[in-house]
Amino acid sequence: MMEISLLLELFLLSCAAGIVLAIAIPERNAPSIFAWTASISSAIILIAGGIGLFTDQPFQAELWRISSLGTMGIGMDRLCSLFVFMAGLVFLPVSVFSARYMQRYSGRYSLRSFSIFYHLLFASVVLLLIAADALSFLLAWEVMSILCYLLINYEHEKQENTRSGLLMLVMGEAGFLAVVFGFLLLTGPSGGLDFTSLRLNAGSIGGVTRWLIFLLTFFGFGIKAGIIPVNTWLPKAYKAAPGNIAAILSGVTLNLAVYGIIRINADILPALDVGPGIVVLITGSLSALIGILYATTEDDMQQMLAHSSIENAGIIIAGLGAGMVFAATQHPVLAGIAFIASLYHMINHSMFKTLLFLGSSGIELKTGSRDMNGLGGLIRFMPWTGSFFLIGALSIAALPPFNGFVSEWLTLQTMLQSASLQSIPVKITFALSGAALALTAGLAVTCFVKAFAMSFLGMGRSKASRRAVELPWSMRSAMGFLAFLCIVFGIFPTYIIPVLDRTVTPIVHESAADALVPPFFTVGRGNEKFSRAFVSDFHDLGAQVGRDVLPGRGLVVLHRGGKRNPVVFAMSTSYTFIVLLLLLGATLVMLRIVVRRRKVRYQPAWDGGLRRLPSHMTYTATGFSNPVRVIFSAVFHPTVTKETKEAVAEHFRTAITKERREVHITERLILQPVVSMLRTVSGRIAKIHSGSVNTYAMYVIITLILLLMGGQFF
Amino acid sequence: MSGWVLKGLKTGIRTTPYPKVEEHAPGVSPGRPEGGVPAGDKKPADFACPVDAITVRDDRVSVDYNKCIHCARCLPPAGAILVKPAGGYEWAYKIQRDAVDPGGVEKTCRRSLHIRVVDGGACNACLSEVSQITKPYYDIHRLGFFITPAPRAADLLLLAGPVTEHMKLPLKKAFEAMPGPKVVMAVGTCALSGGIFGPGFASGGGVAGFLPVDIAVPGCPPPPLAIIHGLLLAAGRKDPDPTTSPGPGCRRDAQ
Amino acid sequence: MASAGRVSESGAFMMPIGPVFSGSAESAHFLLETVGEDIIRMIPRFFYKYRGVEKTAEGLPADRALLLAERFSGTSAFAHSLAFCHAVEEIWGIEAPRRAVVLRVILAELERFRHHVAAMEGICNSTGLVVAASQAGILEEDILRLSCKFAGHRYLFGLNIPGGLQRDFSDTECMELGRGIQEIFVKLQDLEKRLRYSSSFLDRLEEVGTVSLEDAVDYGLVGPVARASGISGDLRTCLSYGDYGSFEFSVPVEREGDGYARLRILFQEAKQSNSIISQAVSSIPVGGILQPPPPGAKPSGAALGWAEAPLGAAFHWVRLKENGRVARYRLTTPSFTNWHGFHLSTEGFAFQDFPIILATFGLSNAECDR
Repeated sequence: MMEISLLLELFLLSCAAGIVLAIAIPERNAPSIFAWTASISSAIILIAGGIGLFTDQPFQAELWRISSLGTMGIGMDRLCSLFVFMAGLVFLPVSVFSARYMQRYSGRYSLRSFSIFYHLLFASVVLLLIAADALSFLLAWEVMSILCYLLINYEHEKQENTRSGLLMLVMGEAGFLAVVFGFLLLTGPSGGLDFTSLRLNAGSIGGVTRWLIFLLTFFGFGIKAGIIPVNTWLPKAYKAAPGNIAAILSGVTLNLAVYGIIRINADILPALDVGPGIVVLITGSLSALIGILYATTEDDMQQMLAHSSIENAGIIIAGLGAGMVFAATQHPVLAGIAFIASLYHMINHSMFKTLLFLGSSGIELKTGSRDMNGLGGLIRFMPWTGSFFLIGALSIAALPPFNGFVSEWLTLQTMLQSASLQSIPVKITFALSGAALALTAGLAVTCFVKAFAMSFLGMGRSKASRRAVELPWSMRSAMGFLAFLCIVFGIFPTYIIPVLDRTVTPIVHESAADALVPPFFTVGRGNEKFSRAFVSDFHDLGAQVGRDVLPGRGLVVLHRGGKRNPVVFAMSTSYTFIVLLLLLGATLVMLRIVVRRRKVRYQPAWDGGLRRLPSHMTYTATGFSNPVRVIFSAVFHPTVTKETKEAVAEHFRTAITKERREVHITERLILQPVVSMLRTVSGRIAKIHSGSVNTYAMYVIITLILLLMGGQFF
Repeated sequence: MSGWVLKGLKTGIRTTPYPKVEEHAPGVSPGRPEGGVPAGDKKPADFACPVDAITVRDDRVSVDYNKCIHCARCLPPAGAILVKPAGGYEWAYKIQRDAVDPGGVEKTCRRSLHIRVVDGGACNACLSEVSQITKPYYDIHRLGFFITPAPRAADLLLLAGPVTEHMKLPLKKAFEAMPGPKVVMAVGTCALSGGIFGPGFASGGGVAGFLPVDIAVPGCPPPPLAIIHGLLLAAGRKDPDPTTSPGPGCRRDAQ
Repeated sequence: MASAGRVSESGAFMMPIGPVFSGSAESAHFLLETVGEDIIRMIPRFFYKYRGVEKTAEGLPADRALLLAERFSGTSAFAHSLAFCHAVEEIWGIEAPRRAVVLRVILAELERFRHHVAAMEGICNSTGLVVAASQAGILEEDILRLSCKFAGHRYLFGLNIPGGLQRDFSDTECMELGRGIQEIFVKLQDLEKRLRYSSSFLDRLEEVGTVSLEDAVDYGLVGPVARASGISGDLRTCLSYGDYGSFEFSVPVEREGDGYARLRILFQEAKQSNSIISQAVSSIPVGGILQPPPPGAKPSGAALGWAEAPLGAAFHWVRLKENGRVARYRLTTPSFTNWHGFHLSTEGFAFQDFPIILATFGLSNAECDR
């Protein structure tokens, strides 16, 4: 077993090697070299994170001491290790994918600088996660922010990309400032900036300051996650970024925001009442709903995935909010379950969203277009890409037995656990949030049916879609790796949950593993919480199938209740997977037997007797999601700006076009009123700029007099 | 809305009892000219049927019903060489073909037949009669016959109209889109011989040369009962009259 | 400029309907440009049923060409044959006897009555009000049987001939017809009253498929569709033919131009037809029913004959040679004219309204395609 410190040093070394090689090697070899170094770095960090997740002693190292600011150091407790592991897990396939993907930029943009920025970003992400004091954390955060901007703005010759990047930078900096203030408020009289002193100081912070810290850090970190109302930069930035960077953004930097929120609001400064938790819960549910609504009606694939990232961030944060409420109301086990569900969704999201972004980048590479209205029929040319994309789409739509189902199901179940709370308003909030999340889940199915079907099935609707070819093996294997993980994390939840539980236990101070995964396999080994009678009840239902073959606690996720309600919720995707396989297999066998006796004739689909069905007579992506746009038009609020009717000789219509404009709901309801209010206020204040030197002189004299008078009193 | 329910119940049953019992209500069929010994005092040889449906041989007149368009010029008072008995509607006949799967549709679709109606350029009279069979007086649903919107679910292709050039491709596609076993029923004089229009530059001489026809229902237009008779023949529920189906492109005579 | 078959709005697509579609609908192809719910633009494509009637008629003797005129559109057969007869009679300089003229009026109004009841059945069917559709279907079959009993053919084929009618009708037969139509009309009035109070049915017709008066005038619409939008033109009063001048009837006009206005026009015109028939059957002049053409060489020349078909104004222009054969035959049918304006009524409405708008127009493709 290697020591974590050694692994971290190796990691920094390989990143440095990547940067040096990028400068030294000629440009045309840059992508493959960069892919090698990045992959090696990711593998190292994966191992480091894995070790950190399973060891009992958290890793710590002091870097230096500053007298007034305390100990600067790095440390990897279980929470860090989980995020570090996920960072490695996302960077690995993206790096492998980028080897061939970056070749589309050769000659136009500098591949060397991409490689340098990429390695620096990776290093800064890891440093950010392992930082054990506020100063290192904030420094690494700022470096990470700037590198994100540089990478998003990679195609800097397009003007809208620069604007999007700038918007992201500005909002990111605003968030950073908020976080800095939050940390400042956290620091105690001793002035120590390391997390341990902050934790010790947290007990003495008063009510108003707690709220202030919570709001500053939650919304400050939340900007990176893309929760409303600070998500306006996210769709634009993801649209501007190259595909693999968008994958990194949603698979890694979104997690960093969640890490920041957990670190401060659950670890260092846990909430004492339900208020902060409720705010988090409501914000999460609303983000989820608005995110998926905009995703469903979006036709540009990368932007749709960006809106979907907002949705998933909302689900993760809603789970966190539920956890914070349970922790504040002395329900540590339920809080543990909520945090486990939230973190499980976070890791699932990293996997399937990265897979979907890589798929969309692959499509863009081979067809030159991201507009789903112009795609179609790609599965004939790209069967592997299509299959992997399908697995990603099924996972994100939360269909069993894939990983998205497990985490979203667990999140909804924790919402239902609000029944054990006392306060009625809190219960109502939970119920409404649960309803919003359920609606989100339903819309997500629509969204990703549209994404998969409009791109891969049917007929190609533009020339670009008809000249697609399959992706090279390196890109396919990256996607395949992630698809494989989606399946594994879906059908073996009972192995993942104990690991997450060990991560969460230091925060909620109680283990929730027994409350989620009863040890049906290991019951004989003296676990007094589960009586033999209980286990034998479930034996007949098949809960102990595979006992002698498989390791672990069991294959059923089950939460026990009281006497009247012995099982509150239960599911097993492992057994579901086996049953599904058996059913599919049996159906296929039966079909072969039945069909063999009949004569089969293949005819084209019936199209009403037309000579030929051209592609513009098949459904488009806009048409598929039009009902959603119409039903939720209160949210979208489209306005028709111009309607033109072209005609020949005034009467024979040849074309009718309408120009529509849509403003995002957060911009419309929150940002634009704020901006216009600021404008009016500053307009009024601007009246003091009269331009006359005499008036300015008078201002100086008045200020002087006021200061002199004021000085008398202090 | 309950007013409609009561109204429907009050109207009672108007459906014809055919095929259990012969239908005798006046006006169900226009009847058609009968061949045989000519009536009246006009010489049959001098008579020119506008569509050449009448042939005279040894002073006996025979009528080719595949061509007759009910113009009534051979009947009194205009022509007065033939007689038209009223009523009579079992006009459909089967065309035996060797290459067809014997008893395919009759075996499988005896109790229920799904029909796809294709309009090959018909004037609306035939189509109107076809649409009457779903209305309360005739109601084919009680016999288990249904009209489907897609050929994929159809057993019988019901064709009306001389097949116009434009409709040849959609008709062929509709026929090929039907899974076997299937039959084709040609309804109306236009579908059997081109009627008054063809063969010409824009329309064909009926569907016989284009698709294999199994059941033919002559008439211009054939009354709904004749169409139902044809459907019953297709489903094997009525036996074809042995004197009336000698072979393809036959002439249905009354000697 | 975008071409007719291409989509002009981004994200829109063309929904194809036909040519083989629905239950027993006529063959036509519609392209609906849509973004999913609303129809932005509708492009119809016809002439799938083009049988070349005008070309086939060239060189045929007039009474043979009459068969073509009668049968290219079976549901308005009598009106078209009447218009053709008017044209030929004008060229030959003969006039049909008064008895034949009045009988022609009765038969034409009988056809209009039946056509309107069939159109009402179509509208009730398209909105899914099955009981009303069944009631209208029963009435339609009653009229068909009545027509068959009276005239020997359910759709009134084989009656008109240039110069008059091919067969005569006794006065008792005519009175019986008048009584039969009156009975059916009473039931039709009951149906209308019930429909007036079916709010879910009216919901699907009111303010759906609106054609404004301006558009109707611009596109030259004719028939009940135009009268629903406010144009009061009717060939029976404007270019009066036959004996319509001596009967008392009014031409109903509505203002709204939506589906419900078109339905109301159908009911009111049925009422007027019933009134004309009962006026006519009680006062048929005695006399012959056929004025034969002049013997020997018939005059050649060209003339325009017209009649108010159930769907609107039908014009037949015929040029005859000396041997009585057709040199050129030109048709302008009401469906052809009205299909031009059909797209106006569908712009901006949803998919589900399209079959209903189609049914309220009640146009015939066979009539349009000739």
